[in-house]
Amino acid sequence: MEHAPTEQDLLVRGGRVIDPDSGRDELADVLIRDGLVEAIAPGLDGSPGVEVIEAEGCLVTPGLIDPHVHLREPGGESKETIATGSRAAVAGGFTTVCCMPNTVPAIDSVRTLEFVHQRAEHGALCRVYAVAAATIGRRGEEIAPIDSLVRAGAVGISDDGDVVADPLMMQQVLATCARHDTVFMQHAQEPSLTVGASMNAGATCTRLGLRGWPRIAEELVVERDLRILAETGGRYHVQHVSSGGTVELIRRARARGLQASGEASPHHLLLDDRACEGYDTMAKMNPPLREEADIHALRQGVADGTIGILATDHAPHTLQEKSLDFESAPFGIVGLECALGLYAKALVEPGLIDWPRLVALMTIEPARLVGLDASGIGTLAPGGPADLTIIDPGHCWTVRTGEFAGKGRNCPFEGWTLTGRAITTIVDGVPVHAVEAPSGVG
Amino acid sequence: MPAGVIRDLLDTASAFESGFRGDELSGRLVANLFFENSTRTRCSFEVAASRLGARSINLGASGSSVAKGESELDTALQLDAMGVDAIVVRSSVNGMPARMAERCTAPIVNAGDGRHEHPSQALLDLLTIRSRLGRLDGLRVAIVGDIANSRVARSNIYGLEAMGAHVVLVGPPGMVDESFAGLGPEGRTTVSHDLDSVIPEVDVLMMLRIQRERGAASPIPSDYRVSYGMTRERADALRPDQWLMHPGPVNQGVEIDPEVLRSFPRSLIEAQVSNGVLMRSAILLRAIARS
Repeated sequence: MEHAPTEQDLLVRGGRVIDPDSGRDELADVLIRDGLVEAIAPGLDGSPGVEVIEAEGCLVTPGLIDPHVHLREPGGESKETIATGSRAAVAGGFTTVCCMPNTVPAIDSVRTLEFVHQRAEHGALCRVYAVAAATIGRRGEEIAPIDSLVRAGAVGISDDGDVVADPLMMQQVLATCARHDTVFMQHAQEPSLTVGASMNAGATCTRLGLRGWPRIAEELVVERDLRILAETGGRYHVQHVSSGGTVELIRRARARGLQASGEASPHHLLLDDRACEGYDTMAKMNPPLREEADIHALRQGVADGTIGILATDHAPHTLQEKSLDFESAPFGIVGLECALGLYAKALVEPGLIDWPRLVALMTIEPARLVGLDASGIGTLAPGGPADLTIIDPGHCWTVRTGEFAGKGRNCPFEGWTLTGRAITTIVDGVPVHAVEAPSGVG
Repeated sequence: MPAGVIRDLLDTASAFESGFRGDELSGRLVANLFFENSTRTRCSFEVAASRLGARSINLGASGSSVAKGESELDTALQLDAMGVDAIVVRSSVNGMPARMAERCTAPIVNAGDGRHEHPSQALLDLLTIRSRLGRLDGLRVAIVGDIANSRVARSNIYGLEAMGAHVVLVGPPGMVDESFAGLGPEGRTTVSHDLDSVIPEVDVLMMLRIQRERGAASPIPSDYRVSYGMTRERADALRPDQWLMHPGPVNQGVEIDPEVLRSFPRSLIEAQVSNGVLMRSAILLRAIARS
């Protein structure tokens, strides 16, 4: 990371400290010294020289983690860089992100992985870990040097943006990941069912005369992979689940004892395919927005624990690219800056989960997914890294993409009013982001 | 497009059956901006403009397939800045005419956009049916063929239903599916994969062109003609109150057998072509008069 741990000690005072890993949920102060959490207890003393951050009325949580972002570096620097993406991350309360390997070149070699690590070390405001490619060039033809990539620090393996389509390749990749207990993350999309497709297959798509992307294109891949997983063992994760059917497949696999998981993105929890009306490219994503029943199934999946991970799939593109016609425009939207408020709207406000559970879904659960819990990431414990997010759950704010910290402005939530926001983000004991005029504090 | 507007356009076009004055749009300039090849539709608009006393300029486009969005819009904006009175657009990009309309001062006439809409074709089809059968309300029309790829079908579903007709869509499963059911403004459109069971129920059979050029998404069954073509046997069995249409150009021996095309007595195919000029005249007149 860009900053060295400072000499400045911090006391985060009077907040509701929620650490799902330890089960802590109490009003307490957090003392931070030399970049580490020194103590968590009510009534801690701020000795002279300790900077006090008032957190009354706020939640004090482990730093939020997003295990699925696109930082575009190397090769896509006009859309985002590791540095600018990290600014978007801390603005949204995230202290750790995992970037996907669909860069140019792909993160399919130790050399490119080390380049990403180096850029993260020298330019990022938050922790950046990389998910490395499963196959060379993400082409699905030749297996990537997974052993070396994992040893060099890759926290997961995925060809995200593309599916690992070939069953034999899938078997090899899963078996290799299993040897390291490294998670494999599948971008589930059967290619033959999505040729030329740009949105969910259904009435809206038919009326707009676009080519439809059916749910079964996702479900078929997941169903097959689960069969393979049952033989290889290991940990299998479905990225950006879009279909209610996929939720059910994961639910059944978990009930059978398979180590299968899935993630939900803010847009799939809140928007349906009618958002594509008028050929609005801000609603063009891969996988596509589905229908109300899928939104419901996804939310239920989160509520009952089937979906244990929340991930933005932060996918920056230039506005020029997004202003192309619907079929030519690229897939994806940015999410880091507004994800927390969107999750609260989709999950907490309807009463499906409470704030502590939301915090778990954004901290210890993704940390376990990518094996960072062992380094004390995703938890708040004395002696551990002082990555904290201070959340004002009552902070009401309006999404203004023009004020986003990253480069991406491609976001369908422009103008939405959200309740709940990260008002201070602390990485390694250093406050790297603060909302200037938080409401409801003090 | 509300039913009232459709009715107005039908009435104006019908009035042209008795001739044009010739100076309805005299001194006006219509730009035909065809980014996708079309002989019939472009000629039809040109003839229409000429009948009304307007002049046309034609811009074809080889256009790069990459970043179509930008260059097509730019071209329209330039024509608009030159002060043309109307821009007739054919584009392979769904929604392109609507995008142009948002940015241009001149009225934009959609002459077909991608797989989305082809309103002037549907309107001339409505005109043709109304002229020959005397009404649209309560009629049953089968649209047969590659519905999924067809902008003609989408516009006809809309227009026919808006005018009170019932639409049945017929085609192989790869070319029409249940997502089309209820698509029209009244939600009455139905889907069938069995042409022979549909034929007895309908007044008009509108055969569509198999759109080989629109690519791989809907493979054409090798026995398409047997199941979905207007073969001589099927044509011979039609009742005297059943009519045949096709937007053209016909793939002979696929959608319609050659001998049916030559000699079927209740074919409206030629009338569709002549009505095209009348309807496009009505469209240009309305677009320019209102701008």
